[in-house]
Amino acid sequence: MFRHLLKLMWNKRRANSMIFLEILLAFIVLFGVYAFIFYNLNRYSSPLGFNYANSMGVRMDLNDDLDSLGVLAAQERIRQDLLAMPNIEAVTWVGPVNPFGGSTWQTGSMVRGQHILTQMMFVDEHFANTAEVDMLEGRWFDESDLKGKYLPMVVNREFKERYYPNVTTLVDSIIDLDGEHKIVGVTSDFKYKSNFAENFPLSFFAQPERLAQDDPFEMLIVRFTPGTLAEIEEPVYNLLVGHTKNTDVVIWDMAKDRIKSNRNIVLPMIILIVISGFLLINIALGLFGVLFTQINRRRAEIGLRKAMGATNGQVTGQFVGEMLIVTGMALVLGAFFAVQVPFLELLPIDGKYFYYGIVGAILTILFIVVLCSLLPSRQAAALQPAEVLHEE
Amino acid sequence: MIELKNVSKSYRTDTIETLALQNLNLSVPAGEFLSIMGPSGCGKSTLLNIMGLIDEPSTGSVILADQEITNYNGTQIAKFRNEQLGFIFQSFHLINDLSVVDNVELPLLYRNISGKERRRMALEALAHVTLSNRAGHFPNQLSGGQKQRVAIARAIVGQPNIILADEPTGNLDSRMGDEIMDILLRLNAELGTTIVMVTHDDRMARKTHRLIRLSDGERVS
Ligand SMILES: Nc1ncnc2c1ncn2[C@@H]1O[C@H](COP(=O)(O)OP(=O)(O)OP(=O)(O)O)[C@@H](O)[C@H]1O
Ligand SMILES: [Mg+2]
Repeated sequence: MFRHLLKLMWNKRRANSMIFLEILLAFIVLFGVYAFIFYNLNRYSSPLGFNYANSMGVRMDLNDDLDSLGVLAAQERIRQDLLAMPNIEAVTWVGPVNPFGGSTWQTGSMVRGQHILTQMMFVDEHFANTAEVDMLEGRWFDESDLKGKYLPMVVNREFKERYYPNVTTLVDSIIDLDGEHKIVGVTSDFKYKSNFAENFPLSFFAQPERLAQDDPFEMLIVRFTPGTLAEIEEPVYNLLVGHTKNTDVVIWDMAKDRIKSNRNIVLPMIILIVISGFLLINIALGLFGVLFTQINRRRAEIGLRKAMGATNGQVTGQFVGEMLIVTGMALVLGAFFAVQVPFLELLPIDGKYFYYGIVGAILTILFIVVLCSLLPSRQAAALQPAEVLHEE
Repeated sequence: MIELKNVSKSYRTDTIETLALQNLNLSVPAGEFLSIMGPSGCGKSTLLNIMGLIDEPSTGSVILADQEITNYNGTQIAKFRNEQLGFIFQSFHLINDLSVVDNVELPLLYRNISGKERRRMALEALAHVTLSNRAGHFPNQLSGGQKQRVAIARAIVGQPNIILADEPTGNLDSRMGDEIMDILLRLNAELGTTIVMVTHDDRMARKTHRLIRLSDGERVS
């Protein structure tokens, strides 16, 4: 029977090559769409690693005339005054690269024979407490670390897993990244740009003295008692204007900032999903149409085979089988093209999403093909042979 | 042995209801060569289709080989069609995408027969209708008479007890018609195959054992 099918399909290779192409095209589009969606869903599903709720960001302009010690003292005074206010629970100074802020700082270095590429964030010793950062090993740096021989550094889980997967603990390792640093802790997953940011190696550094002089931290993250933002916004503003003698104080809600940061991805993603959704519906309908007409055109053949003694099941099985053979061949070719993307590393994205994409596309197409061939062939097989033969 | 009891068949389309057969009684003993005549549209094909189990009567019953077919389920009917019945259609109904020999093999495909054996039987059937030299051709490379002979080879390849032939000579010139008729007569005489043939040709009908006439869905003789 299988040989009979192959022979029949070979003899109808022109009609079948059309189905073949249609399926190949459908596969390639579906593959791309699925890989894209899986990739972004996976990014979204990995946690930010810090708490943004009930927090506000504050940016100000510190006096340029202060020397580094003066800056540090002024920063600490502001922190203490804020903490003394009601409803304020924690305060931390952060550098120009900060959660949802939109800027990135990246550095690369050869460290003992391996090239380490990491994003950098400059924050103070209160950051972990304020943003409620979860530590995997070690601890956040504190004041005593700042006076040690090496400057302290904290890395995220991705940093450790990517560069030191076989090391039991990174705590107390010395790493030469823009100067020698001692790792004091490793955080859980941590990404700061948006929910759709990829998990990338990240290193936290303290505010070095030279920065305090030239380019001091001028942003605060303030965690407050839930529901009190409206109450404290104005007193905080007044306090900071008083301290800096400058009305350039901007306060914003970090929760809203997060939504804004996601918009950069969500919007294009929605547009892409809508476009590819339409494309997909088109292709599915096209496939449906091609299969449907192909099988309907062969209603007489169905009647004939039944008259020759085929059961309904055999007839249906034959037509679904034929379609599955063409589909199988198209999918094999499509999958061969598709695996080149991760295989040749054509895109800087983990290969697994492309494999998910291949599997997703194959399952979807098989579903459509079985449905589109099962329905008309079952319909025709259920009729009396004389009826379909009469139609010719 | 074929027996039809009070068989009626009506076709309902959106607008009209056609009564194709009315209260028809007919009994064909095993080994008989029966011909059916009647004007166009009187229900000859319908009658043949009902006898061949590829259509159902609206009322009445069909008894084939002493079996009340009305009670059969789909699989049993398929098996019966496959093993007992050979069909020659008014319009051939060959599958254009299959070669001549593959077309002839078709009924055997639904039996437990090896590919090699199928091929052997199909070639033998083609030899019967003197078409061996066309085994590898496709139907659209054949003349009408040749197509009809392929259809006959397909009907006899499974050695059925009953052959139902719907105007097997209708599309052919008289010489070719005689040849086809000879094949059927030989089959009937040598193997005892029961044959029911619809024809418009008195000359052909006279060569058979018995003739019945239909008019407007009713048996008139
Ligand atoms: N599937 C069908 N649907 C509707 N009407 C049908 C169908 N099959 C046959 N008929 C009608 O039933 C009647 C008998 O048709 P049938 O094909 O049996 O005639 P016939 O005697 O074989 O004619 P011909 O000599 O032209 O082949 C005709 O009026 C025809 O229109
Ligand atoms: Mg007819």
